Amino acid sequence: MRIRRVAELLALCATIGAAAAAPAGQVQGPSQPDATRFAVIGDTGTGDKYQDDVARVLLKSRETFPFTFVIMMGDNLYGSERPQDYVRKFEEPYKPLLDAKVDFYATLGNHDDPNQRLYKPFNMNGERYYTFTKGPIRFFVLDSNYMDLAQLSWLEGELKKSTEQWKMAYFHHPMYSSGGRHGSEVDLRDELEPLFLKYGMDVVFAGHEHFYERIRPQKGIHYFTCGGGAKLREGDVVRSPLTAAAFDTDRSFMLAEVSAETFRFQTISRLGKKVDEGTFALGPEPKRPSGVPSSNGQ
Amino acid sequence: MSVTTAALSLLTLASATGAQPVNATAAAMKAFRDRADAYLAVHKKVAGELPPLKETDDPQKIADRETLLGESIAKARASARPGEIFGEIAPRVTSLVRADLARRSRADRKALFAEMPAHVPPLTVNAVYPAAVPLITFPPSLLQSLPPLPEGLEYRFYGHHVILRDVKANIVADILRNVIPT
Repeated sequence: MRIRRVAELLALCATIGAAAAAPAGQVQGPSQPDATRFAVIGDTGTGDKYQDDVARVLLKSRETFPFTFVIMMGDNLYGSERPQDYVRKFEEPYKPLLDAKVDFYATLGNHDDPNQRLYKPFNMNGERYYTFTKGPIRFFVLDSNYMDLAQLSWLEGELKKSTEQWKMAYFHHPMYSSGGRHGSEVDLRDELEPLFLKYGMDVVFAGHEHFYERIRPQKGIHYFTCGGGAKLREGDVVRSPLTAAAFDTDRSFMLAEVSAETFRFQTISRLGKKVDEGTFALGPEPKRPSGVPSSNGQ
Repeated sequence: MSVTTAALSLLTLASATGAQPVNATAAAMKAFRDRADAYLAVHKKVAGELPPLKETDDPQKIADRETLLGESIAKARASARPGEIFGEIAPRVTSLVRADLARRSRADRKALFAEMPAHVPPLTVNAVYPAAVPLITFPPSLLQSLPPLPEGLEYRFYGHHVILRDVKANIVADILRNVIPT
């Protein structure tokens, strides 16, 4: 256990070092043949040129980094949700990926009608919140728009049952954020963080903020905000002690590769440039504060 | 008079007259829950008369079903009036929401309502929730202090109002106006 903690700290230092070096360059290919690979997109449903641009780069990146599924951080359809909106704001931009049998797993944003849960290509099993497993990862997909007791109770039950090596959660609103417009969702954090710590959550993804931010690990948990899949709130990151890395000058998405012991990520801009990257090791189970400085949030 | 004061008065009165004491707050909460359950019974009956909808690749089917369900419920509740479900707990809900907002910093309140348009279309009972107005997050801590709702109904902010939204039909089951101070 101690060795794993040391490994985690060393990997974390490498991560921070990598971020500080401001990586440039293109998408890198897989580093481990049997790893689970996926993409992360958020706040995508505009149906505009920028969504198309990001979708094209996402598709192109798959030639180098063959991900098999995509997780969506919500705001899947902005504005009207007529049948043609599903086509223009989802099916058309991602058609080549859908045709290639890449699965999408959506969460609900504040612009989404909860009846999106019935749209089969979003793979929500007809539920506002759900869980699924891919390789060594158990994903917990939550509806952060409405975190009622029923959902919290469901989450605890599922976390309790989970035996996978990695536990990852995603939902629309970030628990930690340096966004000038929204910032951290402290209410949500008060409800979820105790469960995440108790049951050893490893990684949490969110959207809502229209930029990319990697948060310094909080109490041993890694947080990413990836909400620049079509919309952009340029210059909205107010860099704070929370911020490990951020990108708010163009749209972006993430690529992730997960093996039994390591999580590797790359963040790619709309123009196909790598704007952040890093690797960290699976943390101890259950999570405890691991000596990594934890900020007070915002 | 607050709900708590009213409850104490009733208890005192009951004691003085020798009648069985009644907790007015609990009675009001139960009545609210009964009305919410009655609403969902209507929803369930109407939904049972429509073709079932499962997951589908066809968004038209989702839209059609949502519209049909909403219209059918509205027809079945044509005489419903604002405040009908909230009833006597309306002052309690109002005071809980206002107290929650008052506890928050100005920045927090601003962030909470950041995506609520300054002007929203008028809305009343049975109306479809407008697609152009985001469903802003309902704070979990506030949610836990409000009277619980049966599955299928949810509290939402809408402009300065609090509504009960039918999640599957995407319509307004009830509305409590001007809860949120300007």
